[in-house]
Amino acid sequence: MESALVTMACVSYQYPRVRSLALHDISLDIQPGEFLGLIGPTGAGKTTLCLALNGIVPQFYGGRFFGHVRVAGFDTLEHPISVLARRVGLVFEDPETQLIATSVENEIAFALENLKVPREEIIARIPRALEAVRLEGTEKKHPHELSGGQKQRLAIAAALAIQPALLILDEPTSQLDPVGAREVFATVSELNRELGVTVLLSGHAAEELAEYADRVALLVEGALLQVDTPDAIYSDIPRLLAADLRPPQVAQSFSRMRERGVRVPHIPVRLDAGIAALERMRDPAAPPPAAPPTPRPVLGEPLLAARDLHHVYNDGTHALRGITLDIRAGEYVLIIGQNGAGKSTLVKHFLKLLEPTRGDARVGGTSTRDLSVSGLARRIGYVAQNPDSQIFNATVADEVAFALKNLKYPQAEVDARVDESLQAMGLRAARDQHPLALPRGDRARVVIAAILAMRPDVIIFDEPTTGQDYRGARYILDISRELHQMGKTVIIITHHLYLMPEYAERVLVMGKGTLLLDAPIRRAYHAIDLLRATYLTPPQAVFLARALRASDAGDYPLLTPDEVAACVAGQPIAWAEEQRWAR
Amino acid sequence: MEMYIKPSGEERQVRSLETVAVAGAPIAYIVVLAGVVMVLAGIPFSVMLGAGNGFPLSQAIYPLVGWILGPVAGALAAGVGGLLGVFLFPQNSAVPIATVLGAVAGGFAGGILGGKGRWAAWGLPIAVFFGVVYAFYAGSAIVLNGVDGGIFLLASFINWSALALFVLPTRKLFRSWLSSADLKRVTPALFLGTWCVAGLSHLTAAFIVYQVMGWPDFVWASMIPVSPLEHLMRAAVGAVIGSGVLAGLRAVGLVKPKYAAY
Repeated sequence: MESALVTMACVSYQYPRVRSLALHDISLDIQPGEFLGLIGPTGAGKTTLCLALNGIVPQFYGGRFFGHVRVAGFDTLEHPISVLARRVGLVFEDPETQLIATSVENEIAFALENLKVPREEIIARIPRALEAVRLEGTEKKHPHELSGGQKQRLAIAAALAIQPALLILDEPTSQLDPVGAREVFATVSELNRELGVTVLLSGHAAEELAEYADRVALLVEGALLQVDTPDAIYSDIPRLLAADLRPPQVAQSFSRMRERGVRVPHIPVRLDAGIAALERMRDPAAPPPAAPPTPRPVLGEPLLAARDLHHVYNDGTHALRGITLDIRAGEYVLIIGQNGAGKSTLVKHFLKLLEPTRGDARVGGTSTRDLSVSGLARRIGYVAQNPDSQIFNATVADEVAFALKNLKYPQAEVDARVDESLQAMGLRAARDQHPLALPRGDRARVVIAAILAMRPDVIIFDEPTTGQDYRGARYILDISRELHQMGKTVIIITHHLYLMPEYAERVLVMGKGTLLLDAPIRRAYHAIDLLRATYLTPPQAVFLARALRASDAGDYPLLTPDEVAACVAGQPIAWAEEQRWAR
Repeated sequence: MEMYIKPSGEERQVRSLETVAVAGAPIAYIVVLAGVVMVLAGIPFSVMLGAGNGFPLSQAIYPLVGWILGPVAGALAAGVGGLLGVFLFPQNSAVPIATVLGAVAGGFAGGILGGKGRWAAWGLPIAVFFGVVYAFYAGSAIVLNGVDGGIFLLASFINWSALALFVLPTRKLFRSWLSSADLKRVTPALFLGTWCVAGLSHLTAAFIVYQVMGWPDFVWASMIPVSPLEHLMRAAVGAVIGSGVLAGLRAVGLVKPKYAAY
């Protein structure tokens, strides 16, 4: 057998001033040329494990370290990080925080210059790295001119340029729209297959890891529970759900079919295998499903409105192009679209964080030009895409109390609301911790808790599920639903379309600053070609529904794995709308 | 800290293998803190009586620099930051060499106050050194220039009170409070520790400025109410900045410099 590129033997690690172990007795080999996926809930230790492979843990963080890690023959505790960095390339989740140079080629050269690679060699490596990630021709561009997916590919190119034996990507697609994510996975897979680069990729992208990884390692509370093929890992639905992880929708669909008595010999984990299996299993004589319930109309005066809204940024970017829409009190609205479609720009107009270049944004019938930012902040809570940009206090409790204190609420009221919000977000135990020391998912909850404490009428969540594990994402969305049931108007911007059928009623599809579609969620998710036009991909359940429809003329407007399973089993469908209303 | 579950692997010695460290403090930390001192050197917080120009706000964080980096690296960071500051913001320095040496003394004394390991034993020699400086300061004012002894004593209150806090067991008390997990102890330690260490830094700078420029009797008298107020400001600023910085450093959990006090 080929000797392993990475060997971890009985590795445990304890961060300074923390009693629990971040990693516990990890033993793992990674073979040369392997593509290993690393999955686990938020806080499972995925990032710590990645950082242990290039010595940053423990050389930078300190703490206590047990066992041995060897990468390409180098013990990570006996060699400095600068030596290990030549063997291990590391790409983090947020491309923005990794790019520092003023041009693409300088970005790639930066690490090489620091490693004292000769100039001629640097010049030779830049085009090779760019070609590997399909970014040729962008050498002179500023990294910020690139799209999200391109930026992440540039970060990968910079890591590749040092010619590492191991390429580690820590949640590289969680900040990207579906197309950006697909670009990154396609690139990494190509590097792995064609150039033989050994890859360790951690993240929550179940569908993609099921498709591309050779093996998947399941990490829970710092311990490695299972290392196996994607088929073995992703077809064990109960185990994944117990670990707060989301299985691919295709696997969920077939698992539910099995639960409903359909004979499913093998649970597929990839969409193509699922569609093929569905075509074999389906009874061509079975009638199409009954029609789903009609969406409930929401009446009343518009609470938020846009009229021919245009916005042009100072750099000339025309971000909104004549948006006209109404959002009524009590609606739950999902806004989707590619990165740069204008989603965040639109909602910021309702908060007066941006002002229209032309047209009008109205709140409660009044133009935002006549309203103050502070007045709007009391009525509309905004949870920004990057929670860190909204955090500046030294403790979680202070962060939640900050706005209330500034609005001169009595101390008893402040304390009560802070307690209530921390309880709602499951953060009471962290109340005295520094917010920035919490995992990203918890940092987002801190910001939401601070917004909840203000008790606004409208709450806008801008990518609230980014960086969250399945449970964390559902947890936040469940809160959004509770708020909706309390009569609040909820607006959510997200790329995670598969999470939303149980929550959203209405979908605004945006593309290049325009409103492409305003429709109930079921119709919007089945507008596959239009979604593709704005670089979105519907959930796998929609493709399975389409596969069912392919063989007869019936209508299959299915949205969720459960609906697909019920349809295949010929049983009554519990439509997502009915479940929403029943809650 | 004790852990709940015992690992099966062999415990390894954790150390930073990068060689870019000075006296146990990574060079990156020294550069950052020197930069902070330099920036704060551009912010005036009071007028310097007798010599003209202003006091820079950076005086409030020389002790903090010492507590974070230890005596040698702390003195280096404060000194480099102070040196850059006098070039960039000369309006905040009456006598550049006094400003720089005051910064060095502050960083070093801060490191000794929070001293760990071999530096813990340096308290007494350093106290003797500052005692000698104070004696020369008093001698040059009272004996050479005929300043009234009572007035000198009142005008130099911040210096001898700092020396007293440094000599007495309060130094060890501040040290233990600085490393306490309870912020309610850390903040008073930062306030009183800044009073103590910045007072010694001020003594060093004031002694040099007085040798170079001197000042008349009425300035000594006006220093009696003014200098304690200024020093309260230093201590308060040191406590506010220090609380945030130490809370942040602890929360982030970066590797601590070898002789850090927090």
